[in-house]
Amino acid sequence: MEKIIEVKGLKKHYNKGKIRALDGIDIDVYRKDVMVVIGPSGSGKSTFLRSLNLLEIPSEGQIIFEGTDITAQKVDLNLHRQKMGMVFQHFNLFPHKTILENLTIAPIKVKKIDPGLAEEKAKALLDRVGLLDRVGAYPAQLSGGQKQRVAIVRALCMEPEVMLFDEPTSALDPEMVGEVLDVMRSLARGGMTMVTVTHEMGFAREVGSRVIFMDGGRIVEQGTPDEIFNHPKSDRLKDFLSKVL
Amino acid sequence: MSISMEHMNKIFTYGTLFRQGLIVTVLLSAFTVIIGFFIAMFLAFMLLSKNRLLRLVAGAYVQFVRCTPMLVQVFLVYYAVFGFISLPKFQFLGFIQFERFFPAVVALSLNSGGYMSDVIRGGIEGVDIGQTEAARSLGMPGWMTMKEIVLPQAVKNILPAVANEFVTIIKESSVCYTIGVQDIMFNVKAVQSASFIIVEPLLVATCLYFCLCFPTSKIIGYFERRMRESDKR
Repeated sequence: MEKIIEVKGLKKHYNKGKIRALDGIDIDVYRKDVMVVIGPSGSGKSTFLRSLNLLEIPSEGQIIFEGTDITAQKVDLNLHRQKMGMVFQHFNLFPHKTILENLTIAPIKVKKIDPGLAEEKAKALLDRVGLLDRVGAYPAQLSGGQKQRVAIVRALCMEPEVMLFDEPTSALDPEMVGEVLDVMRSLARGGMTMVTVTHEMGFAREVGSRVIFMDGGRIVEQGTPDEIFNHPKSDRLKDFLSKVL
Repeated sequence: MSISMEHMNKIFTYGTLFRQGLIVTVLLSAFTVIIGFFIAMFLAFMLLSKNRLLRLVAGAYVQFVRCTPMLVQVFLVYYAVFGFISLPKFQFLGFIQFERFFPAVVALSLNSGGYMSDVIRGGIEGVDIGQTEAARSLGMPGWMTMKEIVLPQAVKNILPAVANEFVTIIKESSVCYTIGVQDIMFNVKAVQSASFIIVEPLLVATCLYFCLCFPTSKIIGYFERRMRESDKR
Protein backbone atom coordinates (compact mmCIF):
# COMPACT_ATOMS: atom_id res chain seq x y z
CA MET A 1 0.00 0.00 0.00
CA GLU A 2 1.10 3.53 -0.79
CA LYS A 3 2.28 5.63 2.10
CA ILE A 4 0.82 9.14 2.03
CA ILE A 5 2.19 10.49 5.32
CA GLU A 6 5.21 9.16 7.19
CA VAL A 7 5.81 10.44 10.70
CA LYS A 8 9.34 9.87 11.98
CA GLY A 9 10.47 10.48 15.55
CA LEU A 10 8.01 13.31 16.07
CA LYS A 11 8.54 15.24 19.31
CA LYS A 12 6.97 18.41 20.60
CA HIS A 13 8.34 20.02 23.73
CA TYR A 14 7.26 23.16 25.55
CA ASN A 15 9.09 25.16 28.20
CA LYS A 16 12.54 23.99 27.09
CA GLY A 17 11.66 20.32 27.30
CA LYS A 18 9.86 20.39 30.62
CA ILE A 19 6.52 19.59 29.01
CA ARG A 20 6.53 16.81 26.45
CA ALA A 21 3.31 16.97 24.46
CA LEU A 22 4.66 14.47 21.95
CA ASP A 23 7.45 12.15 22.97
CA GLY A 24 8.51 10.29 19.86
CA ILE A 25 5.80 9.29 17.41
CA ASP A 26 6.46 6.99 14.47
CA ILE A 27 3.58 6.07 12.23
CA ASP A 28 2.62 5.83 8.58
CA VAL A 29 -0.68 6.81 7.05
CA TYR A 30 -1.57 4.81 3.95
CA ARG A 31 -3.82 5.91 1.14
CA LYS A 32 -7.49 5.23 1.92
CA ASP A 33 -6.64 4.69 5.57
CA VAL A 34 -9.31 5.80 8.01
CA MET A 35 -7.09 6.29 11.01
CA VAL A 36 -8.79 7.12 14.27
CA VAL A 37 -6.73 8.49 17.15
CA ILE A 38 -8.14 7.99 20.63
CA GLY A 39 -6.79 8.61 24.10
CA PRO A 40 -7.39 10.53 27.30
CA SER A 41 -7.31 14.32 27.24
CA GLY A 42 -3.78 15.66 27.38
CA SER A 43 -2.44 12.55 25.68
CA GLY A 44 -1.11 14.64 22.77
CA LYS A 45 -3.53 13.39 20.13
CA SER A 46 -4.59 16.86 18.97
CA THR A 47 -0.98 18.06 18.97
CA PHE A 48 -0.11 15.01 16.86
CA LEU A 49 -2.85 15.80 14.34
CA ARG A 50 -1.96 19.50 14.19
CA SER A 51 1.68 18.57 13.58
CA LEU A 52 0.73 16.71 10.40
CA ASN A 53 0.09 19.97 8.53
CA LEU A 54 2.53 21.88 10.72
CA LEU A 55 0.03 24.05 12.56
CA GLU A 56 2.26 22.89 15.40
CA ILE A 57 5.93 23.10 14.56
CA PRO A 58 7.62 19.91 15.75
CA SER A 59 10.57 20.22 18.11
CA GLU A 60 12.14 17.15 16.54
CA GLY A 61 11.38 14.62 13.85
CA GLN A 62 10.02 14.64 10.34
CA ILE A 63 6.69 14.66 8.57
CA ILE A 64 7.01 13.23 5.09
CA PHE A 65 3.97 13.97 2.94
CA GLU A 66 3.81 12.32 -0.48
CA GLY A 67 7.57 11.82 -0.41
CA THR A 68 8.48 15.37 0.61
CA ASP A 69 9.84 16.21 4.05
CA ILE A 70 7.59 19.18 4.85
CA THR A 71 9.48 19.97 8.06
CA ALA A 72 12.49 20.96 5.92
CA GLN A 73 13.36 24.66 5.80
CA LYS A 74 12.91 25.49 2.15
CA VAL A 75 9.69 23.59 1.48
CA ASP A 76 6.69 25.58 0.22
CA LEU A 77 4.38 24.60 3.04
CA ASN A 78 1.35 26.37 1.56
CA LEU A 79 1.51 24.12 -1.47
CA HIS A 80 1.36 20.99 0.69
CA ARG A 81 -1.28 22.33 3.05
CA GLN A 82 -3.64 22.71 0.10
CA LYS A 83 -3.66 18.93 -0.19
CA MET A 84 -4.34 18.35 3.52
CA GLY A 85 -7.87 19.39 4.43
CA MET A 86 -8.43 20.19 8.07
CA VAL A 87 -11.61 20.28 10.13
CA PHE A 88 -11.53 21.91 13.55
CA GLN A 89 -13.41 21.34 16.76
CA HIS A 90 -14.74 24.89 16.70
CA PHE A 91 -15.46 24.93 12.92
CA ASN A 92 -13.52 28.19 12.35
CA LEU A 93 -15.71 29.28 9.46
CA PHE A 94 -15.00 32.84 8.34
CA PRO A 95 -17.85 34.81 9.96
CA HIS A 96 -17.60 37.82 7.64
CA LYS A 97 -18.10 35.73 4.51
CA THR A 98 -21.16 33.90 3.22
CA ILE A 99 -21.20 30.12 3.06
CA LEU A 100 -20.41 30.23 -0.66
CA GLU A 101 -17.53 32.66 -0.08
CA ASN A 102 -16.21 30.44 2.71
CA LEU A 103 -16.12 27.55 0.28
CA THR A 104 -14.66 29.35 -2.72
CA ILE A 105 -12.12 31.78 -1.27
CA ALA A 106 -9.26 29.30 -1.08
CA PRO A 107 -9.92 27.59 -4.45
CA ILE A 108 -10.15 30.99 -6.16
CA LYS A 109 -7.37 32.88 -4.37
CA VAL A 110 -4.94 30.06 -3.61
CA LYS A 111 -5.48 27.51 -6.39
CA LYS A 112 -6.45 30.22 -8.91
CA ILE A 113 -9.43 28.22 -10.12
CA ASP A 114 -11.95 30.03 -12.32
CA PRO A 115 -14.56 31.55 -9.95
CA GLY A 116 -17.46 30.09 -11.94
CA LEU A 117 -16.04 26.60 -11.73
CA ALA A 118 -15.20 26.97 -8.05
CA GLU A 119 -18.77 28.02 -7.26
CA GLU A 120 -20.20 25.17 -9.28
CA LYS A 121 -18.07 22.66 -7.42
CA ALA A 122 -18.83 24.24 -4.05
CA LYS A 123 -22.56 24.08 -4.71
CA ALA A 124 -22.38 20.46 -5.82
CA LEU A 125 -20.53 19.48 -2.63
CA LEU A 126 -22.86 21.57 -0.49
CA ASP A 127 -25.78 19.76 -2.05
CA ARG A 128 -24.25 16.44 -1.04
CA VAL A 129 -24.32 17.45 2.64
CA GLY A 130 -27.87 18.78 2.24
CA LEU A 131 -27.10 22.48 2.70
CA LEU A 132 -27.48 23.93 -0.78
CA ASP A 133 -30.32 26.17 0.40
CA ARG A 134 -27.96 27.93 2.87
CA VAL A 135 -25.48 28.97 0.19
CA GLY A 136 -26.04 32.71 0.75
CA ALA A 137 -26.27 32.59 4.54
CA TYR A 138 -23.63 33.70 7.00
CA PRO A 139 -22.06 31.19 9.42
CA ALA A 140 -23.78 32.80 12.42
CA GLN A 141 -27.13 31.82 10.90
CA LEU A 142 -26.32 28.11 10.92
CA SER A 143 -26.56 25.50 13.67
CA GLY A 144 -23.41 23.85 14.99
CA GLY A 145 -23.97 20.71 12.96
CA GLN A 146 -24.55 22.72 9.81
CA LYS A 147 -21.41 24.76 10.44
CA GLN A 148 -19.32 21.66 10.79
CA ARG A 149 -20.73 20.17 7.60
CA VAL A 150 -19.86 23.42 5.79
CA ALA A 151 -16.37 23.30 7.32
CA ILE A 152 -15.91 19.78 5.92
CA VAL A 153 -17.08 20.94 2.50
CA ARG A 154 -14.71 23.92 2.70
CA ALA A 155 -11.79 21.55 3.10
CA LEU A 156 -13.11 19.25 0.34
CA CYS A 157 -13.34 22.15 -2.12
CA MET A 158 -9.54 22.16 -2.23
CA GLU A 159 -9.64 18.52 -3.40
CA PRO A 160 -7.28 17.30 -0.68
CA GLU A 161 -5.39 14.02 -0.66
CA VAL A 162 -6.03 13.55 3.03
CA MET A 163 -8.49 14.96 5.56
CA LEU A 164 -7.53 15.75 9.15
CA PHE A 165 -10.34 15.92 11.70
CA ASP A 166 -9.57 17.48 15.09
CA GLU A 167 -12.39 16.39 17.43
CA PRO A 168 -15.02 17.40 14.87
CA THR A 169 -18.01 16.56 17.05
CA SER A 170 -16.76 17.66 20.48
CA ALA A 171 -18.26 21.15 20.33
CA LEU A 172 -21.65 19.96 19.06
CA ASP A 173 -24.92 19.48 20.86
CA PRO A 174 -25.60 15.74 21.12
CA GLU A 175 -28.45 15.77 18.61
CA MET A 176 -26.14 17.22 15.94
CA VAL A 177 -23.31 14.74 16.26
CA GLY A 178 -25.05 12.22 14.01
CA GLU A 179 -25.36 14.47 10.97
CA VAL A 180 -21.62 15.28 11.03
CA LEU A 181 -20.61 11.64 11.54
CA ASP A 182 -22.86 10.69 8.60
CA VAL A 183 -20.90 13.02 6.34
CA MET A 184 -17.59 11.63 7.61
CA ARG A 185 -18.81 8.08 7.17
CA SER A 186 -19.77 8.70 3.55
CA LEU A 187 -16.38 10.33 2.94
CA ALA A 188 -14.63 7.25 4.33
CA ARG A 189 -16.76 4.96 2.16
CA GLY A 190 -15.84 7.14 -0.84
CA GLY A 191 -12.19 6.24 -0.30
CA MET A 192 -10.93 9.46 1.33
CA THR A 193 -7.78 9.12 3.39
CA MET A 194 -8.66 10.37 6.88
CA VAL A 195 -6.96 10.94 10.20
CA THR A 196 -9.48 11.63 12.91
CA VAL A 197 -9.04 12.56 16.54
CA THR A 198 -12.30 11.81 18.28
CA HIS A 199 -14.08 10.70 21.42
CA GLU A 200 -16.75 8.95 19.37
CA MET A 201 -15.83 5.33 20.06
CA GLY A 202 -18.78 4.14 17.99
CA PHE A 203 -17.39 5.93 14.95
CA ALA A 204 -13.89 4.57 15.60
CA ARG A 205 -15.19 1.03 15.87
CA GLU A 206 -17.50 1.17 12.89
CA VAL A 207 -15.64 3.31 10.35
CA GLY A 208 -11.98 3.18 11.38
CA SER A 209 -9.60 1.00 9.43
CA ARG A 210 -6.94 1.50 12.08
CA VAL A 211 -7.18 2.77 15.62
CA ILE A 212 -4.29 4.46 17.44
CA PHE A 213 -4.36 4.72 21.21
CA MET A 214 -2.19 7.54 22.57
CA ASP A 215 -1.22 8.35 26.12
CA GLY A 216 1.51 10.61 27.56
CA GLY A 217 2.61 11.83 24.12
CA ARG A 218 3.27 8.31 22.79
CA ILE A 219 1.43 5.69 20.79
CA VAL A 220 0.68 3.00 23.34
CA GLU A 221 -1.21 0.59 21.15
CA GLN A 222 -2.48 0.38 17.58
CA GLY A 223 -4.46 -2.06 15.56
CA THR A 224 -7.77 -2.79 13.89
CA PRO A 225 -10.91 -1.64 15.70
CA ASP A 226 -11.51 -5.27 16.69
CA GLU A 227 -8.02 -5.59 18.21
CA ILE A 228 -8.24 -2.30 20.08
CA PHE A 229 -11.79 -2.50 21.38
CA ASN A 230 -12.28 -6.24 21.84
CA HIS A 231 -8.76 -7.46 22.63
CA PRO A 232 -6.85 -4.59 24.28
CA LYS A 233 -3.39 -5.63 25.47
CA SER A 234 -2.01 -2.79 27.59
CA ASP A 235 -3.37 -1.90 31.00
CA ARG A 236 -3.61 1.77 30.06
CA LEU A 237 -5.86 1.02 27.10
CA LYS A 238 -7.99 -1.34 29.18
CA ASP A 239 -8.30 1.34 31.83
CA PHE A 240 -9.21 3.98 29.22
CA LEU A 241 -11.81 1.77 27.55
CA SER A 242 -13.41 0.91 30.87
CA LYS A 243 -13.99 4.64 31.41
CA VAL A 244 -15.32 5.57 27.98
CA LEU A 245 -17.33 2.56 26.87
CA MET B 1 -18.95 90.15 30.16
CA SER B 2 -22.45 89.39 28.97
CA ILE B 3 -23.48 87.82 25.69
CA SER B 4 -25.35 90.35 23.61
CA MET B 5 -27.18 90.20 20.30
CA GLU B 6 -25.29 93.25 19.22
CA HIS B 7 -21.98 91.40 19.70
CA MET B 8 -23.32 88.36 17.89
CA ASN B 9 -24.30 90.42 14.86
CA LYS B 10 -20.89 92.00 14.80
CA ILE B 11 -19.23 88.61 14.96
CA PHE B 12 -21.15 87.38 11.95
CA THR B 13 -19.48 89.99 9.78
CA TYR B 14 -16.38 87.83 10.23
CA GLY B 15 -18.21 84.85 8.74
CA THR B 16 -15.57 84.29 6.05
CA LEU B 17 -12.86 83.80 8.67
CA PHE B 18 -14.92 81.19 10.52
CA ARG B 19 -15.75 79.43 7.27
CA GLN B 20 -12.07 79.30 6.30
CA GLY B 21 -11.16 78.11 9.80
CA LEU B 22 -13.74 75.36 9.53
CA ILE B 23 -12.32 74.15 6.20
CA VAL B 24 -8.79 74.14 7.62
CA THR B 25 -9.86 72.16 10.68
CA VAL B 26 -11.71 69.60 8.55
CA LEU B 27 -8.81 69.18 6.11
CA LEU B 28 -6.29 69.01 8.93
CA SER B 29 -8.27 66.29 10.72
CA ALA B 30 -9.04 64.32 7.57
CA PHE B 31 -5.40 64.24 6.41
CA THR B 32 -4.31 63.38 9.93
CA VAL B 33 -6.67 60.43 10.32
CA ILE B 34 -5.76 59.00 6.91
CA ILE B 35 -1.99 59.41 7.26
CA GLY B 36 -2.18 58.54 10.96
CA PHE B 37 -3.97 55.32 10.09
CA PHE B 38 -1.17 54.21 7.77
CA ILE B 39 1.43 55.09 10.40
CA ALA B 40 -0.65 53.15 12.92
CA MET B 41 -0.85 50.08 10.65
CA PHE B 42 2.89 50.19 10.17
CA LEU B 43 3.48 50.49 13.91
CA ALA B 44 0.92 47.77 14.67
CA PHE B 45 2.77 45.30 12.44
CA MET B 46 5.99 46.28 14.21
CA LEU B 47 4.31 45.66 17.57
CA LEU B 48 3.12 42.25 16.34
CA SER B 49 6.45 41.35 14.76
CA LYS B 50 8.52 38.38 15.87
CA ASN B 51 11.59 40.62 15.86
CA ARG B 52 12.24 41.93 19.39
CA LEU B 53 14.03 45.06 18.21
CA LEU B 54 11.09 46.14 16.03
CA ARG B 55 8.68 45.56 18.94
CA LEU B 56 10.91 47.56 21.26
CA VAL B 57 11.27 50.51 18.88
CA ALA B 58 7.55 50.68 18.17
CA GLY B 59 6.69 50.26 21.85
CA ALA B 60 9.05 53.07 22.85
CA TYR B 61 7.55 55.34 20.20
CA VAL B 62 4.00 54.67 21.41
CA GLN B 63 5.02 55.47 24.98
CA PHE B 64 6.71 58.70 23.87
CA VAL B 65 3.55 59.82 22.10
CA ARG B 66 1.36 58.93 25.05
CA CYS B 67 3.50 60.41 27.76
CA THR B 68 4.31 63.82 26.28
CA PRO B 69 1.83 66.64 25.67
CA MET B 70 0.42 67.11 22.20
CA LEU B 71 1.42 70.78 22.32
CA VAL B 72 5.06 69.86 22.91
CA GLN B 73 4.95 67.36 20.05
CA VAL B 74 3.55 70.00 17.70
CA PHE B 75 6.25 72.49 18.70
CA LEU B 76 8.96 69.86 18.34
CA VAL B 77 7.88 68.97 14.84
CA TYR B 78 7.40 72.58 13.76
CA TYR B 79 10.47 74.20 15.30
CA ALA B 80 12.90 71.29 15.55
CA VAL B 81 12.18 69.05 12.56
CA PHE B 82 10.90 71.65 10.11
CA GLY B 83 13.37 74.18 11.48
CA PHE B 84 15.98 72.23 9.52
CA ILE B 85 13.87 71.17 6.57
CA SER B 86 12.66 74.21 4.68
CA LEU B 87 9.28 73.79 3.03
CA PRO B 88 8.12 75.64 -0.07
CA LYS B 89 6.06 78.67 0.92
CA PHE B 90 2.77 78.84 -0.96
CA GLN B 91 -0.95 79.01 -0.35
CA PHE B 92 -3.53 76.53 -1.51
CA LEU B 93 -7.31 77.00 -1.71
CA GLY B 94 -6.43 80.68 -1.52
CA PHE B 95 -5.94 80.92 2.22
CA ILE B 96 -4.11 77.84 3.58
CA GLN B 97 -0.38 78.33 4.16
CA PHE B 98 1.35 75.11 3.21
CA GLU B 99 4.51 75.68 5.29
CA ARG B 100 2.39 75.78 8.47
CA PHE B 101 -0.33 73.33 7.47
CA PHE B 102 2.05 70.55 6.48
CA PRO B 103 4.06 70.39 9.76
CA ALA B 104 0.75 70.38 11.63
CA VAL B 105 -0.46 67.37 9.64
CA VAL B 106 2.85 65.62 10.29
CA ALA B 107 2.74 66.31 14.03
CA LEU B 108 -0.89 65.28 14.44
CA SER B 109 -0.43 62.15 12.28
CA LEU B 110 2.57 61.03 14.29
CA ASN B 111 0.57 61.50 17.48
CA SER B 112 -2.57 59.86 16.17
CA GLY B 113 -0.61 56.99 14.61
CA GLY B 114 0.93 56.21 17.99
CA TYR B 115 -2.41 56.10 19.73
CA MET B 116 -4.15 54.10 17.03
CA SER B 117 -1.34 51.55 16.61
CA ASP B 118 -2.09 49.97 19.95
CA VAL B 119 -5.79 49.85 19.13
CA ILE B 120 -5.08 48.16 15.80
CA ARG B 121 -2.68 45.70 17.42
CA GLY B 122 -5.34 44.83 19.96
CA GLY B 123 -7.95 44.48 17.22
CA ILE B 124 -5.78 42.10 15.23
CA GLU B 125 -4.89 40.05 18.31
CA GLY B 126 -8.55 39.96 19.24
CA VAL B 127 -9.40 37.87 16.16
CA ASP B 128 -9.66 34.20 17.15
CA ILE B 129 -6.45 32.30 16.37
CA GLY B 130 -8.65 29.57 14.89
CA GLN B 131 -9.40 31.90 11.97
CA THR B 132 -5.71 32.09 11.10
CA GLU B 133 -5.31 28.35 11.53
CA ALA B 134 -8.26 27.62 9.25
CA ALA B 135 -6.92 29.95 6.56
CA ARG B 136 -3.38 28.59 6.79
CA SER B 137 -4.64 25.00 6.69
CA LEU B 138 -6.30 25.84 3.36
CA GLY B 139 -2.90 26.83 2.03
CA MET B 140 -3.30 30.60 2.26
CA PRO B 141 0.00 32.44 2.70
CA GLY B 142 0.40 34.62 5.79
CA TRP B 143 -0.18 37.94 4.03
CA MET B 144 -3.35 36.68 2.35
CA THR B 145 -4.66 35.37 5.66
CA MET B 146 -4.06 38.80 7.15
CA LYS B 147 -5.71 40.65 4.27
CA GLU B 148 -8.70 38.40 3.59
CA ILE B 149 -9.48 36.87 6.96
CA VAL B 150 -7.93 38.66 9.93
CA LEU B 151 -8.03 42.36 8.99
CA PRO B 152 -11.70 42.45 7.89
CA GLN B 153 -12.64 41.00 11.26
CA ALA B 154 -10.19 43.21 13.15
CA VAL B 155 -11.82 46.28 11.59
CA LYS B 156 -14.96 45.51 13.55
CA ASN B 157 -12.93 45.50 16.77
CA ILE B 158 -11.05 48.70 16.01
CA LEU B 159 -13.68 50.82 14.28
CA PRO B 160 -15.23 52.28 17.44
CA ALA B 161 -11.82 53.32 18.71
CA VAL B 162 -10.77 54.79 15.35
CA ALA B 163 -14.01 56.77 15.19
CA ASN B 164 -13.27 58.03 18.64
CA GLU B 165 -9.79 58.98 17.50
CA PHE B 166 -11.19 60.96 14.53
CA VAL B 167 -13.39 62.94 16.88
CA THR B 168 -10.45 63.45 19.24
CA ILE B 169 -8.28 64.72 16.39
CA ILE B 170 -10.90 67.26 15.29
CA LYS B 171 -10.82 68.67 18.80
CA GLU B 172 -7.10 68.36 19.48
CA SER B 173 -6.14 69.88 16.13
CA SER B 174 -7.06 73.15 17.84
CA VAL B 175 -3.57 73.26 19.39
CA CYS B 176 -2.19 73.89 15.91
CA TYR B 177 -3.23 77.54 16.03
CA THR B 178 -0.09 77.96 18.17
CA ILE B 179 2.11 77.39 15.12
CA GLY B 180 -0.01 79.68 12.98
CA VAL B 181 -2.28 77.19 11.23
CA GLN B 182 -5.43 79.15 10.41
CA ASP B 183 -7.92 76.70 11.84
CA ILE B 184 -11.07 77.53 13.81
CA MET B 185 -9.19 78.54 16.98
CA PHE B 186 -6.73 80.72 15.06
CA ASN B 187 -9.62 82.69 13.61
CA VAL B 188 -11.29 82.95 16.99
CA LYS B 189 -8.14 84.70 18.19
CA ALA B 190 -8.13 86.88 15.07
CA VAL B 191 -11.74 87.93 15.52
CA GLN B 192 -11.21 88.55 19.23
CA SER B 193 -8.32 90.92 18.62
CA ALA B 194 -10.01 92.71 15.73
CA SER B 195 -13.34 93.23 17.48
CA PHE B 196 -12.38 93.23 21.18
CA ILE B 197 -15.23 90.74 21.70
CA ILE B 198 -14.04 87.73 23.70
CA VAL B 199 -16.86 85.33 24.51
CA GLU B 200 -19.03 85.26 21.38
CA PRO B 201 -16.31 84.05 18.98
CA LEU B 202 -15.66 81.22 21.42
CA LEU B 203 -19.35 80.32 21.31
CA VAL B 204 -19.21 80.16 17.52
CA ALA B 205 -16.14 77.90 17.76
CA THR B 206 -17.86 75.69 20.33
CA CYS B 207 -20.80 75.32 18.01
CA LEU B 208 -18.60 74.54 15.00
CA TYR B 209 -16.58 71.88 16.82
CA PHE B 210 -19.73 70.26 18.15
CA CYS B 211 -21.35 70.25 14.71
CA LEU B 212 -18.26 68.49 13.34
CA CYS B 213 -17.80 65.90 16.06
CA PHE B 214 -21.37 64.89 16.80
CA PRO B 215 -22.38 63.84 13.24
CA THR B 216 -19.00 62.17 12.73
CA SER B 217 -19.49 59.85 15.67
CA LYS B 218 -23.08 59.18 14.60
CA ILE B 219 -22.11 58.32 11.01
CA ILE B 220 -19.43 55.92 12.12
CA GLY B 221 -21.86 54.38 14.60
CA TYR B 222 -24.14 53.65 11.65
CA PHE B 223 -21.39 51.88 9.69
CA GLU B 224 -20.47 49.93 12.78
CA ARG B 225 -24.02 48.58 13.06
CA ARG B 226 -24.09 47.75 9.38
CA MET B 227 -20.89 45.75 9.62
CA ARG B 228 -22.39 43.60 12.34
CA GLU B 229 -24.80 42.29 9.68
CA SER B 230 -22.88 39.05 9.36
CA ASP B 231 -23.16 38.35 13.11
CA LYS B 232 -26.93 38.47 13.00
CA ARG B 233 -28.83 35.29 13.56
